[in-house]
Amino acid sequence: MRHMLRHPIRFMRDHRFTGSRASAYLDGELDAAGRRRVERHTRVCPQCHQLIESLRQTIAGLMGLRSEPGGETADGVIARLHHER
Amino acid sequence: MGHEERRLVARAQDGDRAAFEELVRLHAARLYAVVLRLAGDRHEAEEVTQETFLRAWRGIDGFKGDARFFTWLYRIGVNEARRSSQRGSGPRAVTSLEQHRIDPRDPGPGPADAAEHTDLRSALEAAIAALDDDYRAPLVLRDVEGLSTAEAAELMGLGEAAFKSRLHRARLAVRMAVEPYLPVQDER
Repeated sequence: MRHMLRHPIRFMRDHRFTGSRASAYLDGELDAAGRRRVERHTRVCPQCHQLIESLRQTIAGLMGLRSEPGGETADGVIARLHHER
Repeated sequence: MGHEERRLVARAQDGDRAAFEELVRLHAARLYAVVLRLAGDRHEAEEVTQETFLRAWRGIDGFKGDARFFTWLYRIGVNEARRSSQRGSGPRAVTSLEQHRIDPRDPGPGPADAAEHTDLRSALEAAIAALDDDYRAPLVLRDVEGLSTAEAAELMGLGEAAFKSRLHRARLAVRMAVEPYLPVQDER
């Protein structure tokens, strides 16, 4: 909060930067300067800290959805291939 | 692409039907799982999966080996799912999910929506299903299936910047929908 009051314009610029690049940050696609900017800002902005952390958890949850389904699909495809020939 | 798969593809390109059927057995279940998330309906997903392999068999000579075979199949499958969705052949296009689409610009669901889901996994599945097609595919390919950004963007026919923008908006929409199910954050 102190930081925002002392440097309001920089704070708001970093806030927008962090909000629009949160995914890129989590995917490791920001350059070193971009990463530092996000990390510096999230230390002083609870809202962006929350955004980054909840997005990180969301992505981890999405990664956990992948599952190996049953094998009967192949039989249907092969039957269709035979039928079409 | 492993040595065995490369050998099967080469044989299939020579017209060996049994080799292609081996490729079907290797990839059909995985492809079906992806298509089901894109199509949203089991019957439609089966149709799309079968149509994808038919197209792949007819066009196997067009596979040059510069990508993974499965990535090539994904590309056909995503396009086929899109065509199917545009034809409106599946119930999703005309019924409940269409009416409950999440627009990534919306502020998100209220407590009543949250109460419908018992855990994070079902909330995630519901949030994915409610995304608009343009946002669902990047999320499924990148985050659920684990393709690289470059690979997923390429197979969707998008530039990387456009792909990343859609992915980010899709993630924000899903995050908004599932936030009540995420572990509690530490207070700062």
